[in-house]
Amino acid sequence: MSDVTPTDPTSEPTIATTSTTTSALRCEGLTKAFQGVHAVNGATFDVPQGQITALIGPNGAGKTTVVNILSGSMKCDSGTEYLGEDEVTNMESFEIARLGLMRTFQLSRELGGLTVLENLLVAPKLQPGESLFNVFFRPGTVRRAEQVNVERALEILGTYGLYAVRDDRARELSGGQKKLLEIARAVMASPRILLLDEPMAGVNPALIERIGGYILALKAQGVTVLMVEHNLNVVEKICDHVIVLAEGRTLATGRLSELRANKEVVRAYLGEVIDARPPS
Amino acid sequence: MQLFWLSFGFGLVTASVLAISAVGLSLQFGITNYINFAYGDFMALGAYITYVLNNEVLHWNIWVALVCGSLAVGVIAVILSQLILSPFARRFDKTFYVLIVTFGLSLILLNVMYSIWGASVRFYNVPINRALHIGPMLLTAYQLIVMVIAVVLMIGVAVLLKTTRLGKSMRAMSDNTTLAMTSGINTKMITTITWFISGSLAGLAGSVLGLTEGNLTPAAGELFLFVIFAAVIVGGVGSIYGAMAGAVLIGLATEVSAAFINPAYKLDIAFLILILTLLFRPSGLFARSGKG
Amino acid sequence: MTAVWYYVFTLVFFLFDYFILAMGLNIQYGETGILNFAYFAFVAVGAYVTGAVSLPNSVGTGQHYIFGWGIPFPFNLLMGGIATSLLAVVLAFITLRRLRTDYLAMVLISSSLILYDICNNFVPLFNGADGLYNVPPPFASVLKLTTNSFIPFFAAVTGVIALIMWFVMSRITRSPLGRTFRAIRDDDTVAAALGKNVFRGQLKSMIIGSFYAGIGGGLIIQFSGSLNPTAWLPGETFVVFAVIIVGGVGNNVGLLVGSLLVETLLVHLTAFLPAIPGHPGLIEYIDAMLIGVFLMVMLWFRPQGVWPERPRLSATMVRLLGKRGPSVDEARVEADVSDAALNDGSRG
Repeated sequence: MSDVTPTDPTSEPTIATTSTTTSALRCEGLTKAFQGVHAVNGATFDVPQGQITALIGPNGAGKTTVVNILSGSMKCDSGTEYLGEDEVTNMESFEIARLGLMRTFQLSRELGGLTVLENLLVAPKLQPGESLFNVFFRPGTVRRAEQVNVERALEILGTYGLYAVRDDRARELSGGQKKLLEIARAVMASPRILLLDEPMAGVNPALIERIGGYILALKAQGVTVLMVEHNLNVVEKICDHVIVLAEGRTLATGRLSELRANKEVVRAYLGEVIDARPPS
Repeated sequence: MQLFWLSFGFGLVTASVLAISAVGLSLQFGITNYINFAYGDFMALGAYITYVLNNEVLHWNIWVALVCGSLAVGVIAVILSQLILSPFARRFDKTFYVLIVTFGLSLILLNVMYSIWGASVRFYNVPINRALHIGPMLLTAYQLIVMVIAVVLMIGVAVLLKTTRLGKSMRAMSDNTTLAMTSGINTKMITTITWFISGSLAGLAGSVLGLTEGNLTPAAGELFLFVIFAAVIVGGVGSIYGAMAGAVLIGLATEVSAAFINPAYKLDIAFLILILTLLFRPSGLFARSGKG
Repeated sequence: MTAVWYYVFTLVFFLFDYFILAMGLNIQYGETGILNFAYFAFVAVGAYVTGAVSLPNSVGTGQHYIFGWGIPFPFNLLMGGIATSLLAVVLAFITLRRLRTDYLAMVLISSSLILYDICNNFVPLFNGADGLYNVPPPFASVLKLTTNSFIPFFAAVTGVIALIMWFVMSRITRSPLGRTFRAIRDDDTVAAALGKNVFRGQLKSMIIGSFYAGIGGGLIIQFSGSLNPTAWLPGETFVVFAVIIVGGVGNNVGLLVGSLLVETLLVHLTAFLPAIPGHPGLIEYIDAMLIGVFLMVMLWFRPQGVWPERPRLSATMVRLLGKRGPSVDEARVEADVSDAALNDGSRG
């Protein structure tokens, strides 16, 4: 670790709604090596409940690998992960998802053969209609659950501006629409914690603005968000808390303004960006 | 004990044929990233081309015929990959499609062979030769030569991969195609060459299989393909040296077990080892980390 | 009955039977994305079990087989279906959890060969290479059917069974379970990230599909009265794949069309062609080649099949669920219009 004392996020004077002291997600000493190369090497951090936390760091810092480990898509070599109070280290991806942690993917991974609406309808956990028994012997239960889900899905599609394309196959969407679908689908699963892997990468400024709005709205609904993000303007605007990752380790945590004052962080990552855009 | 050593000898012969074929399959798999289900038919095709050169019309010496037969399959493999397999692989990003196409290609090749040569068993035109005692083992000269060929080829492939530019490019492509492409490797060229090598090895393996078994049928290759799959998976998919090691293990296990159980079930031993591997060491016994 | 009608009803039987088989493979491959190259081995196991449970005790029949319980139709068929489902469970536990698509295909095709090897060599199981024969035709003695009247009768029975199985399959594919299968097919990582137990989903799909394979196989042995190992080499699986791909992956009605085109036109009509003198079997070889070529051409020019999978439209869903009309629609559409402009820049 560095000689910088990582800032305690909870001591931070933040706006009233987010001043909770519990962490929604916590990991300690995560490591992961690929063919001898340590992609993640002891990452340790807390994601505070009900806030928006940014995970930043230079390319190759292991951000996506961390997201993969936290969401269970990948197994770590060592370390522990807690979801609230429960240890979930190396649990299967679907088990972690059922505990309320949803993730999106850096490159949109839509379910291409399904319609946009169906993409959302897949998301609710443990639907009655997913049991063969229910399909044949409790059609009423299946239908009622389906009714609720369809209604809610159409509502979310409306919110995310995808209502008009609801019957298109997801593979036919534009890049920006796929990004929105990625988030909408995760939201449909009613997550407690949302892991967004570069939700704004490769989209135009107007859409960045909009996605930022959606994320803030989710926070207002009480969803904890951890997002990998390169764009420091976005981080500045919507994130309460920042975790800096470098070479697979947690370099520092805190508010962006504090981190700008941290020489090591600046050297590792923020350098040129900060010089170009002094805090306003 | 004598029985054991006898079957051990046969095991080494099977292992040699398996090693040649498994390396051919693995090389191509590493580069193109899909399995060629027509590989067994490439083998049988090689055996029959060798047969034609050796028996019908030309009456060439078996070894000359064998070399020409192998190279011919190499050329055929290049043509088929260019005309059929590569276009499908490029067009559809799901592996499904191209796998079904190789499966279909296998059906076509098999029935082409049936149409031309019929279903009856054929024999190479080679003098019957007496078995020689090699220590406790009893092997024909052909079987010995096949073993020598296998060893030389395996060393050859290892040298090719380790020292030559072609081999290094192949390894790079096998690890990461996109990266290899961006670092200036002519991936198209490498793919073509790989298909040629893979096809030639298939043709050779098919011919020597016919030679060591003493007969050939169009379906022989397909049957053998499953043993190759077992060797490749047991050795660790994507690893050339794993394929070699898997070939030796499966070759010995099937033949040695045939001395003690009903030989009709010897292939099932290969399958049993495959299942045990999957259950307890799914990445293969000799796998490097990486692909898979 | 003339020979022509005899053939027509034989074709009708195979049309319906392959429709059932195609539905089974379609839920595995078309809906869930499991490339089951061993499919026809499941069909064979279903046929053997159906045959062996309906035959009388093997003592004195001149055949060797297990079971021999004299179980009547259609219970023997159900037992065949259940047996193949059990086989699917065993194979799924060995392979599905550990292997990606292509290795899975390799191991499955190897398994089919081993099953073949065992059935062919281990005589006490299903009479070895001779296979089972003299399997009693259902209802023949009760209804006093002759060889001639049995064929149209059984073709009709198969049609009814196919209809029931089509109804059941449609319920499954249109349910949320079917949707989860398709999610697994399209991207299993995403499905898992959405809380779907991918292994369980694939297992369910394997079991359902294998049940269909077993029923389809059982019908074959009931129709022809016999089955031996040469009838189920790996090439047979390919014919079922051809039915699916020609008809349209993921579409049950398309499968009937595919079955009509491939099974009746390509596979069985060639039986009418005269043999080429001096070349026994040449017609069959050429036929098999043509199926391979036909499939590749189809896959290249019309990969979605003649009757493609239809997206499930929201209007249909809303109507089926009885949700009241488009109260929210207007506002939504308005919000979307600005969206179109927004997304233009990043299309692709």
